[in-house]
Amino acid sequence: MIKNQHTQSPFDPITLEILWRRLVSIVDEADASVARTAFSSLLRDAHDYTCMFTDSRGQELVQGTFCTPGQAGAMAIGVRELIRSRPLSDYRPGDVFIINDPWALAGHLNDVCVWSPIFFREKVVAFTACVFHHADIGGRVASDNREVFEEGLFLPLVKLYDAGRLNEDLLDLIRWNVRTPEEVAGDIRSQVAANHVCGQKIVEMMEEEGLDNIDDLADEIIGRTEKSMRSAIARIPDGNYPYEGIIEGAGNRKDITIRMTVSVDGDDIVVDFDGTDDQVGWGVNVVYNFTYAYVFMAVKSAFDPDIPINEGAIRPVKMTAPEGSVVHCRFPAAVAARMQVGHFMTEMVFKALSAATPDNIIAGSGGTPAQTNIFYGKRHDGQPWHTMIIRGGGMGASSRADGHHCAIFPANGANTPVEIFESDTPLIVESRTLVEDSGGPGRMRGGIGRQMTIRVPDGDLAPLSPTSIAVQAGRYRYPPEGIFGGSPSQKARFLKNGKAADPSGLTFCKPGDVIAFYSAGGGGYGNPLERDPDAVAEDVKKGYVSIEAARKEYGAVIDPESLKADPAATAELRSVQTKG
Amino acid sequence: MKKGNFRLGCDIGGTFTDFVLVDSETGNIHAHKCLTTPDDPSDAVAEGMAALSKAVPGMAADTTEFIHGTTLVINAIIERKGAVTGLITTKGFKDVLELGREIRYDAYDIFSEYPQPLVSRELRLEVDERIASDGRVLTALDTESVTRALAELQKKGIESLAVCLINSYENPAHEDRIREMVQSKAPDLFLSTSFEVLPQIREYERTSTTVTNAYVKPITARYLAKLTDRLSSLGFDGTIYIMLSSGGITTIETARDFPVRIIESGPTAAVIASQYYGRKFDIKDMFCFDMGGTTAKSCLIQKGNAGLVSTFEVGRVQRFKKGSGLPIQVPVVDLMEIGAGGGSIAKISKMGLLQVGPESAGAAPGPVCYGQGGEDPTVTDADLVLGYLDPDYFLGGTMALDKAAAEKAIAEKIAGPLNTSMVTAAFGIHDLINETMAAAAKTHIAEKGGNPNVVTISAFGGAGPVHAFGLARKIGAPKILVPPLAGVGSALGFFMAPVAFDLSRSHRKNLDDADFTEIEDLFESLQKEGVAALGSAVQPDDVIFERTLMMRFVGQGAETDLPIGQKPFNEWEKTEIRALFDTAYKRLYGRTYPDNQIEFVTFKVRAGLPPRPFHLPRPAGAGTTLEESIKGRRPAFSLIEKDFIPFTVYDRTRLFPGAEFSGPAIIEERESTIVVGEAARVRIDDHGFVWITMD
Repeated sequence: MIKNQHTQSPFDPITLEILWRRLVSIVDEADASVARTAFSSLLRDAHDYTCMFTDSRGQELVQGTFCTPGQAGAMAIGVRELIRSRPLSDYRPGDVFIINDPWALAGHLNDVCVWSPIFFREKVVAFTACVFHHADIGGRVASDNREVFEEGLFLPLVKLYDAGRLNEDLLDLIRWNVRTPEEVAGDIRSQVAANHVCGQKIVEMMEEEGLDNIDDLADEIIGRTEKSMRSAIARIPDGNYPYEGIIEGAGNRKDITIRMTVSVDGDDIVVDFDGTDDQVGWGVNVVYNFTYAYVFMAVKSAFDPDIPINEGAIRPVKMTAPEGSVVHCRFPAAVAARMQVGHFMTEMVFKALSAATPDNIIAGSGGTPAQTNIFYGKRHDGQPWHTMIIRGGGMGASSRADGHHCAIFPANGANTPVEIFESDTPLIVESRTLVEDSGGPGRMRGGIGRQMTIRVPDGDLAPLSPTSIAVQAGRYRYPPEGIFGGSPSQKARFLKNGKAADPSGLTFCKPGDVIAFYSAGGGGYGNPLERDPDAVAEDVKKGYVSIEAARKEYGAVIDPESLKADPAATAELRSVQTKG
Repeated sequence: MKKGNFRLGCDIGGTFTDFVLVDSETGNIHAHKCLTTPDDPSDAVAEGMAALSKAVPGMAADTTEFIHGTTLVINAIIERKGAVTGLITTKGFKDVLELGREIRYDAYDIFSEYPQPLVSRELRLEVDERIASDGRVLTALDTESVTRALAELQKKGIESLAVCLINSYENPAHEDRIREMVQSKAPDLFLSTSFEVLPQIREYERTSTTVTNAYVKPITARYLAKLTDRLSSLGFDGTIYIMLSSGGITTIETARDFPVRIIESGPTAAVIASQYYGRKFDIKDMFCFDMGGTTAKSCLIQKGNAGLVSTFEVGRVQRFKKGSGLPIQVPVVDLMEIGAGGGSIAKISKMGLLQVGPESAGAAPGPVCYGQGGEDPTVTDADLVLGYLDPDYFLGGTMALDKAAAEKAIAEKIAGPLNTSMVTAAFGIHDLINETMAAAAKTHIAEKGGNPNVVTISAFGGAGPVHAFGLARKIGAPKILVPPLAGVGSALGFFMAPVAFDLSRSHRKNLDDADFTEIEDLFESLQKEGVAALGSAVQPDDVIFERTLMMRFVGQGAETDLPIGQKPFNEWEKTEIRALFDTAYKRLYGRTYPDNQIEFVTFKVRAGLPPRPFHLPRPAGAGTTLEESIKGRRPAFSLIEKDFIPFTVYDRTRLFPGAEFSGPAIIEERESTIVVGEAARVRIDDHGFVWITMD
């Protein structure tokens, strides 16, 4: 073993970078172990989990390179409070804690956190934690529950292992409260294993590098990160930037009004939600941490996407919200569909800051919120089936580029291949295509939305009625907005047999029914009459924009034969449209 | 006159074209390295053959095999130099290629760019037809719509056509019919159908693969025709083989039909060589480490087998960001590539810390010390300043390095801003790139269930042997192996690769419901295709088939591979398959779930010939005593002392079998330099391999 003299702070910049990389690689190793030990495909394929560790004071130090923004931002503040909820002297080697209290971490019961102290020479030097999204946590799976009690098993902060001894009773309790006990228990073990890898590697590193604590290193890393984050914030002009936005209520539920003021003062940023609506009696309430996660997502993605996430990155970003409001709900609010409100936070911060920092933000996105569909029923032979898909929409345009076509934003995720969907279900997908004219017109065009049409087959292999479809989505009444003169995108639509239907609650279908889901596109950026006519012509050639819309929305005259723009006719038309 | 018995390996890389000529009887080797000629890569082939003919007169006519790896296909994709390509697909699905999997590869970057599809939207046309997921025909093929689509695409000037229909992996009837129509109506069009390219479930990945094949098919065909002519004009009349990404070699006809299979043909060779060494020396865990100018590629080889994966990416928009490229679903050796090479640039990050890579100075302008206009200090500059490289013996002395310029660049651009000494900064660059590679190695090894503390590192590439020692220390590897000709040695992998072709077909079926006779039929038809792909020269009786099942728990997203040998499938019991799955799953993931149902997803066959014997050369070192092998001594930087200490410099060509010595040592050969720190012992074996054991 080589002993280095790293014990005095500050570290020289080269050593610091090397140690920092080592820490990142430790978390990534723990992260990689999950791919081998977890059962659920939500974890293994969709990577819906986040690993991290903190110093002895609970300050987040490193988070896995692959993380989900909702979990990542929420853990940075949530884990610190958990660790500080008891004195350091209470922790024992081999202690493992478990909790899925939505108020403590990522805002719904499915996100389960497992965490442990790391001991080095009989002293707590750090903590390691991971949050996994468990597909099953029991309860009634729906967004219209009234209280969290209906939504599944609620675990307060409890010990899964006490000084190395497994609490079998607790594991049994969990098993008896979920539908797939082996998978859930298996994935919890995978969490314990990931933390174990992390803890062991940190101890090895401390031995190899002759460190006797992690906190000195943490101070350096957190300090430099904070400085970098602050210098990004300092580039935002000082001021108070208010914004009021409305999120549609599902079905005939009341709309929700969000009021925020983003205040920038030097290198501090505060987002205040005073005046925001109270929490509601269905599942879209958001806990403080999850709201914070998507506020933080906005600041980081707009001003410095490369900054690592640790205590230093979150320190300059503050948030205040009235307790009992929909963005800082009180126990026992229902929270299962929190993303239907929470995902809007990123877009709203962008809108508040748009005038001050027009080049750092994007217009509204059709993938806000992420759209989830659950399909279930029985095959012709009575076999039950069940599947879930997530869908995005067009992303908003920015000052520098058209919006990306189809994505979930600010959350993230992948679609399910049609061939997998069809072999999992008795349904037939008739089409999945981009939707012409769905992107918001603008100098920069919003991303194109897409549609997916599904048929319940009739004939010999028709499923037994009903085939049930549950939709968690939005943008049916209020489309993603454009910005700086850009136009909104087309709205999302939900059609049953060609007619607009109510997407909220459950939709029951019989053989022969055809259901179409249209996601919204992204909002446009800038005046569409200023869009380069050749870019409009290219959009027409590709079928993103119709010739009619080119003329009406963009004032661009496109020759139907050559599909080229006519510059003279365009200039003339635009001068008329500008006056009009 | 007795015909000679040479085999020639030729690897055309981005910068250099490497040649290795092997005498199959004696094992004697001749190597040559020259600059790649991008305008016509066969010029470099002619040049290399001319150089080798000087050393071995008449070698062209005496060579029975020419085994070839090339970056042509991957470059055509990256540089978008492929053909104007059209796509015919099922009604309702022309945007599969553009929608992709819809995931954002960088969650926090709202300005991420995404790769443009290889076929533009107006060249993607739909035809009326539909196959169900179980292969039933839901809507018969409307041949009129095919005729119309074909006419329109021809009018739009396509040179190559891809056909990919939904669920065609279960029933190719409609794709077959379209193929017949295209062959009769447009016989000059290059054609790729998804069932022939790779009939696997997941329409985006299959379409992307088929389209990529179509996109590079014309350019590959022209190149291979030219190469064949060129070789024959040089007097070669043996067989040409092309290296596949999967680690097998194949005929020129198969490579022409399926160019998407040869994308990674170059990097694969080092892995095949390591695999061979792993088996030969009975090393259970080998870590192949190939570090060149721009990237480092590595691969864990367990019990002599490098894993194959069924998907990889090409043409990443963000070079080292997973998800920013085009997915290709063909079998490929499980390589990990990171942006760490001799040319990796060092700079100061936003955090005020040192950062090295992933940007590279490449071959032009190259590192500062090359004196070709490079201004940013690189890893090679640091290696030179630290004494690991000899400024007067780079590429055997054919290229002088400017040490003073390297020192100046490191001092001004790194040491100054960090307020540290030039040497500390240089060591920082060397150490940090090792740390980056170590981190990636540890993650890769962890993902494959290995343990870095037991691996033997096999080092290749110009920079591999320079950095292997530092890497070994960081990951805790006890041993390093540097094969002969490590700088070009990956080309030796060509000779060790078997003639083989991998086929697969998806057919999702629950184990309980599966009809094993039907599956046996499926395997047999794959085997028949395999024999055809191996080419006309192959006797069907000589072909060995390896069958693999890809199975998973119902509802799970990823499959587990189960090798099952050659036994007819209808002779298997369902309980045996179940037990096989549970055992494999448990070994990989620690436990299994006997109560959960499992299903077949994809069936795979590797059709191949038995490996040909390959004899490692037994080079007689010119020296007989250690003293005779020593070129001198020079100060170089110790990773342990953190200071310059004297290193003994050996000439690798003079080291003899059985030679043993301890670090600190530097072993120089023309194409590469091996660095051994003080806490290690070195031994030369009978074949001239350098074995380094860490203390």
